[in-house]
Amino acid sequence: MTAVTAKTKIKESKPKLKTSTVLIYVLFAFLVILYIAPIVWIGITSLKTRPEIYKDPFGLPGELQWENYSFAWNAGKLGTAMLNSLFVCVVTLIGTMLFGSMAAFAIGRMKWKLSGAAMMYILVGMMIPVHCVLIPLFVRFAGMGLDNNLWGLILPYLTFSLPTCVYIMTGFFRSIPNELLESACIDGCSIYKTFYSICLPLSKTGLFVTGLMTFIGNWNELLLAMVFIHDDTKKTLPVAVTKFVSPYQTNYEKMFPAILIAIIPSIIVYSLFSNQIVDGLTQGAVKG
Amino acid sequence: MEKLLRNKTAIILFMAPTLILFTAILLVPIVTSFYYALCDYDKATRAYSFIGFENFSKMFKDPIFWISIKNSLFFLVFSCISQLIFGMLYAALLTNINKGRNFFKNTIYMPCVLSSAALGLLWAFVFHAKVGINTLLAGVGIKGPGWLYDIKGFITLPMWVIAFVALWQYVGQSMMLYMAQISGISKSLYEASYIDGATKTKSFWHITLPLIKPMVGTAMSLNAIGSLKFFDLIYSMLGDKTTNLKMDVLATFLYRSGFSSKGGNHYGYASAIGVVLVALCLLSTFVINKVFKTENYEM
Amino acid sequence: MKKLLAVVLALAMLLSMVSLAGAEEVQEITWMFWDDLEASSDLITQGFKQVIDRFNEDYAGKYHVTPITTQLEPYYTDLNALVDAQKTPDVFIVSPGPNLTDYVAPGIAAPLDEYLADGWKDTFAGDAVFAQQTYDGKIYAIPLNTAAACVFYNKEIFEAAGATVPTTYTELLDACEKIKAYGKTPITISAGTAWCLSMLAGYLCDREGVDLKALNNNEASWVNEKTIAAGEKLVELSQYFQETAAGDSNDDATTALYMEDAAILIQGSWAIGQMNGGNPDFEAKCGVFQFPAIEGANDPNRIIAKSDSLAMSSTTKYPEACIALMKYFTDDTAQKYTAEVGGKIPVTKVEYDASKAPAQLADVMKIFGNASATFGFYNESLVSSDAGSYFDDQMVAIFQKEKTPEEAFQAVQDWYQEYFAKQAEKAE
Repeated sequence: MTAVTAKTKIKESKPKLKTSTVLIYVLFAFLVILYIAPIVWIGITSLKTRPEIYKDPFGLPGELQWENYSFAWNAGKLGTAMLNSLFVCVVTLIGTMLFGSMAAFAIGRMKWKLSGAAMMYILVGMMIPVHCVLIPLFVRFAGMGLDNNLWGLILPYLTFSLPTCVYIMTGFFRSIPNELLESACIDGCSIYKTFYSICLPLSKTGLFVTGLMTFIGNWNELLLAMVFIHDDTKKTLPVAVTKFVSPYQTNYEKMFPAILIAIIPSIIVYSLFSNQIVDGLTQGAVKG
Repeated sequence: MEKLLRNKTAIILFMAPTLILFTAILLVPIVTSFYYALCDYDKATRAYSFIGFENFSKMFKDPIFWISIKNSLFFLVFSCISQLIFGMLYAALLTNINKGRNFFKNTIYMPCVLSSAALGLLWAFVFHAKVGINTLLAGVGIKGPGWLYDIKGFITLPMWVIAFVALWQYVGQSMMLYMAQISGISKSLYEASYIDGATKTKSFWHITLPLIKPMVGTAMSLNAIGSLKFFDLIYSMLGDKTTNLKMDVLATFLYRSGFSSKGGNHYGYASAIGVVLVALCLLSTFVINKVFKTENYEM
Repeated sequence: MKKLLAVVLALAMLLSMVSLAGAEEVQEITWMFWDDLEASSDLITQGFKQVIDRFNEDYAGKYHVTPITTQLEPYYTDLNALVDAQKTPDVFIVSPGPNLTDYVAPGIAAPLDEYLADGWKDTFAGDAVFAQQTYDGKIYAIPLNTAAACVFYNKEIFEAAGATVPTTYTELLDACEKIKAYGKTPITISAGTAWCLSMLAGYLCDREGVDLKALNNNEASWVNEKTIAAGEKLVELSQYFQETAAGDSNDDATTALYMEDAAILIQGSWAIGQMNGGNPDFEAKCGVFQFPAIEGANDPNRIIAKSDSLAMSSTTKYPEACIALMKYFTDDTAQKYTAEVGGKIPVTKVEYDASKAPAQLADVMKIFGNASATFGFYNESLVSSDAGSYFDDQMVAIFQKEKTPEEAFQAVQDWYQEYFAKQAEKAE
């Protein structure tokens, strides 16, 4: 690092290929390897047999073991797990965006005495880690039939996604100019219509950002999913992947295909929309 | 207009779902959890009996609790500092190049959107004693250390390994936060400084750094809470080995006390750990906000 | 995107509706188990899957069982959650010992004597197989198999190193020394998975003559020359462990034996299937001997044995279906599989084809047949399941040299004192 900054001292403002730039490229090329190599290695390993993994962990597989993939897919019930994850995340996403923006609208634009207090109440929720409500929720849900039930995941996911959503959307609603609302009022819009057809469309960016954060956060959630769900057909993707660590032996050659199957859709979606995703998430983090 | 915005029915309708959810899923459980923390849960009868602060006094005598506190605080400090340094470094360097900038930043950011559980399993294999990078090292005649099981030292090697994996996974977020802030700095400021004869390094210290300070607070409180909640990576990398390897953090300690077959089902005790966790989260957010936000106002 | 979403959601709904249909009239029961039936490569698990499939096929239209599978780690928590929610699985697997007691004492598990009386009980190898499942003369769980903890070794390495099969502790040290000199790892063990190390500690304690009964009745102290001698032997043996023992999982440790990196593995006989499956060449090279004697101490023919057992919920709606299912687990097909493929000792009088069974099973059966007595895993034989995991942790601490044997057993003793004090308080 010091080498790099020292080199930048050679003052020059017009771009030629400078040593400092080269060094930066070298550094980032190295980082890219650091980020991609483990995934590639797992990809190679996932096509090996078990003895091959142990005898020559870095070698290429002799005969490609594609059946590792079909085994992982079938045995891990990864298809079902993906559908479960999708269901949970989509419902949570819709719920968060709907309820969150409703509350944000009430807090940000409407006039009532306790709006500040309500905001505080919601914001404290941002600081509470989900672990702290794990036990009471678990005990209560077990009594209500919400354990081992995807709705038992959706409710806490929704609740823990709301604060960020409310916070970000409040900011967006507040930035809408007053005149717009007033003209809507003159046109005879009801408050619901004002919210739905004027304010919401104007805050699309906010919805995108919160939706993204909610979806990704819950897509990867492990702890609640692990504790609340025991039925095999209801497990979500992160839990399904850990299934291959069984009491007596870890099935590396079956686990790696499962890991890849689990993360490759995310990687594909990410590489297609990486700029939007990165910017959206960053905006969300800044505002949250 | 005024009347419209004071529509009580609408306010109630708008607020109701959120408030109901918050109360039912957050407030009530938190209060219950505080109550459980004062109770003993009997596995056989499935009943709670009030025992006052006994769980807490037991916890303060429990060496595993102190190990968890130590490790959690280590993660907190390490992730705050390392993400600050590397996040800012990457951001500052990346803003200096044009070609490939998007590719680099997107690659570094990628693990942030992937499942920690899956990545943890992957890294556990990389550091596996028999098949991991140690076999590569052995190939060139170096005897690799016990990455994930050497328990010597105050902060053990596996702790460092996992802390670096966490850095690897999440540094992209800090980097992006700083980049967003840096790109928000007006170009004219830099141009003015170059005219005044400042070097790039100098302008970094005198322009970039002061202007992204507020973001440091945001990034740090995100890191702090994130590292206190830290569970997925450590669980998937070590499984049930955390305790014997003195690798527990508060979250895994809570999980084990509450839900593991091995010494689990102590809901009261686990709730007491939860109370400590809440307290630490609130405290660290408070401290970080205090430190960074006040400086912000002074500027 | 919206359309795609709609299609996906519609599909999901359709799927859930399909699964609801046709659930009438059939007696639906659940069976809970601690390993994933599909993903597992464990042979016993795969055998259980066959039993379930066979049952559902044979009784189609009459009974149907749905497995609830979880992992070993959170198994009892999940089970307890279901019990709390009054959805106790109709049939569930449970380890004998304090774990089973947790379900027998509050009346969650039903006594099974009336169902056993129809001749089912006579199919079992003897009354002794029910010893660990009997409370006050009533049987609360059905054993499915028995696994004996033995010492597995690589005959080739032994021969090449000039080591002989040890019958005493001194001979064991001698063999280890020779193997070490030969350049192979003498003993492979997992301290990362604490119960594996604890099993060795349990053997050492028992060979030294530790009286577990007296300890559990609060009639003796854990700190005595026998326990400490066992602890010291654990430390002594640890110099022969593989270097990575501290972090290796059970799986890693077993792999080292069948990949022929190490010569000795102390493990339950369930590992046979795993070893032969992992490396088919190894079967011929693998020998078995019983854990060596400690000279001048306890009876050396006592062996650690463990059986998976099934309990039935006392609140089940369909006891007939449950019993029918349990009978499938102990019928000849299942028990033959247990021996011939799974490598565990059958609990019934079934005659299996010894030539089909893994080579090691015959040795294990011989050792099992010669045993003067069996005893359980230490961590499943203490006053409570928590005591067991505390014991495991202390044994790991000895191995890691965190604690001296004195300190570690003192810690167990302190734990016991606190436990008994609490019990006395509750009794008042």
